[in-house]
Amino acid sequence: MPTPVLMPQMGESIAEGTIVRWIKKVGDAVDRDEPLFEISTDKVDAEIPAPAAGVLTEIKVNEGETVAVNSVVATIGAASEISKQEPLGSAPPPAAPSLDSVVPRDVDAPPAKPAATPRKTNGRTAAKPSEDDSRKQRSSPLVRRIARDNHVDISQIHGSGLGGRVTKNDILEYIDSETGTGDSLGAEAPGAKAAGSGTRDTGLGTRAADPGSRVEIKPLSVMRKKIAEHMVMSRRTSAHVHSVFHVNFSTVERIRQQKKAEYEQLGTKLTYMAFIAKAVVSALRRFPIVNASLDGDNVIYKKDINLGIAVALESGLIVPVIKHADEKNLLGLSRAIADIATRARSKQLKPEEVQDGTFTITNPGQFGSQFGMPIINQPQVAILGVGTIEKRPIVVDDAIAIRTMAYLTLGYDHRLVDGATGDQFMAEVKQQLENFDAQ
Amino acid sequence: MAKSFDVVVIGAGTGGYVAAIRAAQLGKTVAVVEKQSALGGTCLIWGCIPTKALLEHAHALKVIQHAAEWGVTIPPGSPAINMPQVHARKDKIVGGLTRGVEFLFKKNKITWVKGTARLAGSGKVDVVEGDRQTLEAREIIIATGSAPRSVPSVTIDHTRIITSDEAIHLKEVPGSLVILGSGAVGVEFASIYRRFGSAVTIIELLPRLVPVEDEAVSAELEKSFKKQGITVMTGTKVTRATASSSGVAIEADTPDGKKSTINADVLLVATGRGPVTTGLGLEEAGITLERGYIKVDELYRTSVPGISAIGDVITLGTGVHPQLAHVSSMEGIITAERIAGQPVQPLNYDHVPGCTYCDPEIGSVGLTEARAKERGYDVRTGTFPFGVLGRAKMAGESEGFVKIVADKKYDEVLGVHMIGPRSTELVAEAVLALRLECTVEELIKTIHAHPTFSEAVGEAAHAAHGAAIHM
Repeated sequence: MPTPVLMPQMGESIAEGTIVRWIKKVGDAVDRDEPLFEISTDKVDAEIPAPAAGVLTEIKVNEGETVAVNSVVATIGAASEISKQEPLGSAPPPAAPSLDSVVPRDVDAPPAKPAATPRKTNGRTAAKPSEDDSRKQRSSPLVRRIARDNHVDISQIHGSGLGGRVTKNDILEYIDSETGTGDSLGAEAPGAKAAGSGTRDTGLGTRAADPGSRVEIKPLSVMRKKIAEHMVMSRRTSAHVHSVFHVNFSTVERIRQQKKAEYEQLGTKLTYMAFIAKAVVSALRRFPIVNASLDGDNVIYKKDINLGIAVALESGLIVPVIKHADEKNLLGLSRAIADIATRARSKQLKPEEVQDGTFTITNPGQFGSQFGMPIINQPQVAILGVGTIEKRPIVVDDAIAIRTMAYLTLGYDHRLVDGATGDQFMAEVKQQLENFDAQ
Repeated sequence: MAKSFDVVVIGAGTGGYVAAIRAAQLGKTVAVVEKQSALGGTCLIWGCIPTKALLEHAHALKVIQHAAEWGVTIPPGSPAINMPQVHARKDKIVGGLTRGVEFLFKKNKITWVKGTARLAGSGKVDVVEGDRQTLEAREIIIATGSAPRSVPSVTIDHTRIITSDEAIHLKEVPGSLVILGSGAVGVEFASIYRRFGSAVTIIELLPRLVPVEDEAVSAELEKSFKKQGITVMTGTKVTRATASSSGVAIEADTPDGKKSTINADVLLVATGRGPVTTGLGLEEAGITLERGYIKVDELYRTSVPGISAIGDVITLGTGVHPQLAHVSSMEGIITAERIAGQPVQPLNYDHVPGCTYCDPEIGSVGLTEARAKERGYDVRTGTFPFGVLGRAKMAGESEGFVKIVADKKYDEVLGVHMIGPRSTELVAEAVLALRLECTVEELIKTIHAHPTFSEAVGEAAHAAHGAAIHM
């Protein structure tokens, strides 16, 4: 019996996924739960295991294509069931690039769940259309052609025509707003460019590459696009200010050395990050405004402390979230941090594990940076950047002493958090770390 | 006690009467003030309808003149036009249509106020001639239209130097007719009176006939006109026209720098139409004008709240506003619906079809090749001649072509320009194609019935993509 392979539902708000890579080819034998293909949604990238053992007999959705969740993407059958027209081991059949069959992307902004950010991108639909609606998004032959050439998902565009029909102007304005170019006639497709055709105007009359120059042009990954969008949106949304504190980690270092062996026995590593997380949670309790969001004229105070930890990946960045971080002790936090970091790197995160963060910690120090000036992860209002932790000469009791030190930076949204509050919050973090109570 | 209405429309031309009907359909009480004795305005009484009626007479004569080719034997002697009968038939058509509008007014309970309107401020309209009274209106729509306008060097005397208003009523066919201006009005009368037997000269200031059309269309029309014996003088400036009892002497500067004098029985001035605003009290009402036209926004609101304007009398401030009946009526519908609180969208003036009923006729919509290039498109075109089609051969119509102007990048149909048999009808497909944002590929995939003239549209699309099938 052939088993259909479905595009998995990776979370409630996810309507579709893009197949990034087929790990197995038609004709390959697969075991149950063996990684079969890699997907990218607007929340996470993940490897999808085979639902049954057998032979991959047919691939219905090619790499780079986006389909609705629960669409059949492949079939696993007995070896004899390989499609007749598909000789063993050959390339997957070219699926017709019909836009109509491809369900549009979820229009939710990434982790903007409880408090919607005041984001109103040009031409975006206000509400997520139901799957059925988006299939029926009305457009014109010309709009579909422009969408195809520019890899634009028509369902993301607000149609100004009769009955919500997406018109040429709508899609050109959408492309302009997405790319920041003013060139409404000739918005170039980032992915569909012939080599040597150059890149689009950056809006300042400059191009990233002139036609014919020696460059290689590659389309952005889904994750890269999301990061780009999110970062620019955040800079536009929040009034970023930064406070930098110099923190003595000697006490933390002492406890870490004492407890190292004990933690290793318990199966985890005791890292500085766990201490920092603990100190941050404690400070967030004292300063709830830092664990909040701004929504129009309202402040939304989050009752839970869900700590996002930025994890660098080979080709991007993801912020998995430790839910209810305030309910965890040092050991619990250590375990949680190690777990999400490992799973983030192996693409094993579930979509809900990157949602609902209320505060984020990022650690540029691991790469040697003295301190960072991080951009806030919307719709949060603050982010802590951890600089490199190293021994430095400092003045103690009018003498120069060697201590384990680090710069911590708080990036915060001045719309909601004033300098005094931000600094008091940081003073609290510093105090907690320098006088860390191991109990 | 002033009579009060939701909407008072000034002018019962195509813009005004359509706006009135639409407003009435949407539940508004409506009055229309009209100074002429019949409803319908320029289109029905002076323009579209009578001229096209005359053109059908010309066409009938053309077929009869070629009777031998059709295998039809007629008694000896050359066929001739009988002007009194022509006018009788034409006037009957016009009368039927204006009474049709009267019927529609009654059906929709629209009050027809006979007289001349003048804005009286704060939602009031004075009727100063005819049924003198003051009307109160929540909303006023000005739809007073346009009238023929001359150039400074030529003074209209209405007998020897005439406009289209007289040209539709000429009791006899002039022996020689000079037409000044080669827009739609000029070339249509050139076709009519040439067919009726006049020696026709058409003078155009710009370098080509029908200057708003695609250059290829102009060239084809000039070729055909010359074949028909019409003298075409482009790039020629008329400096003076002197009427006498025996005719008109027209002095002109030709493009080679020479002065030339042309004598004719009649000079028809067809150099354009200006707005009709005299006596309306626009300035007193505080309405902003631009070059004499009423300035409106994209939903036809004037600078004064509660007063809208549509049709030939307006300018949107974005270049030349087309003075066409179908534009006025669409503007009337949009305005009535906006007043009634319905959702409306601005008109796309790139999608306005133009139909010129000269012989061969012209139908066009969208950007010309030159205009598309000006806008920065990477243009490709496809042209297919009617003469190749079986249908055209049967009809004995071998002139003309369909030309598609498209954007190379996204394959968008930017403009369709046709000259030749049934072009004014065939353009409808092209208008829909532009409205629905069609690509050339979609036109190629659209089945064009055989044998029809419309096959030329499908073939021109093929040609734009490389090669027509039947060429």
